[in-house]
Amino acid sequence: MSALHAERGSGAVAELVYRARAVLALFWSDGYGRFGLCVLCVFAAVAVLCPWIATHDPWVNNTRPDGTLARLNGPSAAHLLGTTYYGQDVFSQLVLATPQTLLVGVVTAILVGFIGTNVGLISGYFGGVVDDVLMRITDFFYAIPFLPFMMVVVSFFGTSVAVVVGSMSLVFWRTAARVVRSQVLTVKQRPYVLAARASGAGHARIIYRHILPNVLPLSFLYLLFGAAWGVLTESSLSFIGLGDPNRLSWGLMLNQAFATGSIRYAWWWVVPPGAALTVFMVSLYLLGRAFEEQSSPRLRQQ
Amino acid sequence: MRRYVVQRLLQNVFLLWVLITFMFVLFRLLPGDPVSIVVSAELPEQARAALRKSWGLDRPLGEQYVAYLGNLVQGNFGLSFQHQKPVWGILSEKLVNTLVLMIPATLLAVVVGVAGGMYFGWKRGSRVERLGVLLPAVIRGIPSFWLGILLLMLFSYGLDWFPIGGMRSIGVEARSPWQLYLSMDFLWHLTLPLLCMAITSLPEPLLIMRSSLLETRGEDYLELIEAKGASEARVLFHAARGSLLPVMTWVVHMFGYAMASTVVIEMVFAWPGLGREIITAVGTFDYPMAQAAFFLISLVIITLNLLLDLCYGLLDPRVVIA
Repeated sequence: MSALHAERGSGAVAELVYRARAVLALFWSDGYGRFGLCVLCVFAAVAVLCPWIATHDPWVNNTRPDGTLARLNGPSAAHLLGTTYYGQDVFSQLVLATPQTLLVGVVTAILVGFIGTNVGLISGYFGGVVDDVLMRITDFFYAIPFLPFMMVVVSFFGTSVAVVVGSMSLVFWRTAARVVRSQVLTVKQRPYVLAARASGAGHARIIYRHILPNVLPLSFLYLLFGAAWGVLTESSLSFIGLGDPNRLSWGLMLNQAFATGSIRYAWWWVVPPGAALTVFMVSLYLLGRAFEEQSSPRLRQQ
Repeated sequence: MRRYVVQRLLQNVFLLWVLITFMFVLFRLLPGDPVSIVVSAELPEQARAALRKSWGLDRPLGEQYVAYLGNLVQGNFGLSFQHQKPVWGILSEKLVNTLVLMIPATLLAVVVGVAGGMYFGWKRGSRVERLGVLLPAVIRGIPSFWLGILLLMLFSYGLDWFPIGGMRSIGVEARSPWQLYLSMDFLWHLTLPLLCMAITSLPEPLLIMRSSLLETRGEDYLELIEAKGASEARVLFHAARGSLLPVMTWVVHMFGYAMASTVVIEMVFAWPGLGREIITAVGTFDYPMAQAAFFLISLVIITLNLLLDLCYGLLDPRVVIA
């Protein structure tokens, strides 16, 4: 009996590995997907290696040789991307904000994917009252003015990343839930699902063993979108001034550049964080597009 | 059909009520004392209590809630703590400011996006197709506030073509409400924020149009029209017609969403709109103001979605039966 379980367990792992490799191969077969994958790998590498890449302490107010504050120095050998209004090294801030950004993206993506997929599965599978209640909750999160809601949440619970990521995910699952649900509605009518039910399989088994594999591609797509929305929203909040002022982030960098009036000419402070955000999100969107295109044969024929 | 309409209507009224209640509770839970924002801390406790009483904050929460709902039903949003004036007067002005920015920006985005989507979906050739994928992805990736800052750096600080923010120059007084929004000075101030917003809303109509044209391209009925000797423009028109509904759906969804998220663009361009008012209201514990703003945005989102649902019901009878 236990041998059987072990075999089944390793089977699940093998299947997971197989699926992961299939997804990677799918990205790789598409030019844009390849680009997105490479860019994300670069970001991940920077995130891991950032303590060695950064040239300065990001919070230290550097001084010029004559002892004055190195305020808004242009790029030079000493400061690769110049300095901020407070004499801080822009390059080091940019590099050291990377792991935080990736973390926000990954955690939001997982939460959005997890909640959205499960709500969609349960709502679509059981139908009736369960479906009604869950879909009205989804409606509720659609009707909430999102950014203002985040402002209130942040001013209530504080500006820590955990709060920001948690409350973003609390809202963003709505889209995934709706899309997954409508997919479940068609999948649950398929003969093999009906056969599984007729042979006495439990609800959980039917949902997670027979239906889930068919909606997994959709969930994965919303995982990517969740990461992009999460990073964008977090940086927007930081830009408005509702982020954690003691945590490096690209949004915070732009907030300070804007608030100090440095956008007048300090392009070396303004361009890098925005460009980093843009490249990161573009690579996610390109991955999403590659995934959509490659997994729907109808588009692929075009 | 009537049953469908009534059912949807009731559902949405209920949803609105849930939202209102949620907001009410949320704001009462917020730590912080609205009185301390308006008056100095030296004011004796008695005077503070009097102020709290005049705002009705001394009454139990349930009573406050009932009074709030009663006023809301009569269209009365109450007095702003911060401004000491009726909320509606201030809010309606901010709402108009946001709408004058949003409506033209949305229209521009739809027109340019649909045209661009038609171009990228119809034209063949590897270069066009590559651009059709990259352009929307890049625009989608640019955070709106960063785009705004870049526009300011280039056109205001660099070239000095446009003002650095605000809605009109200092000292410009309008003699009539129309002049407020139709003067050259206003349009001059409107240009950059409008551009910023239009560009960031461009990708969705473009992508919708592009992918639906890619799907219809090569359908039999188009070949028939072509065979009848119709011009390419006419064939394109027939191919594009089917995707106008998805584009309209997007406009409706986007409009409510954008009302809540213009705040970022309003911040960059110092635009005195709804979003910035909400930030101030939340920051100063101005409950009546913040709640009214939330209520308005939610009302717009819900109403637009309801109208969309009803239109679908009208166009496609299957929706009503399901």
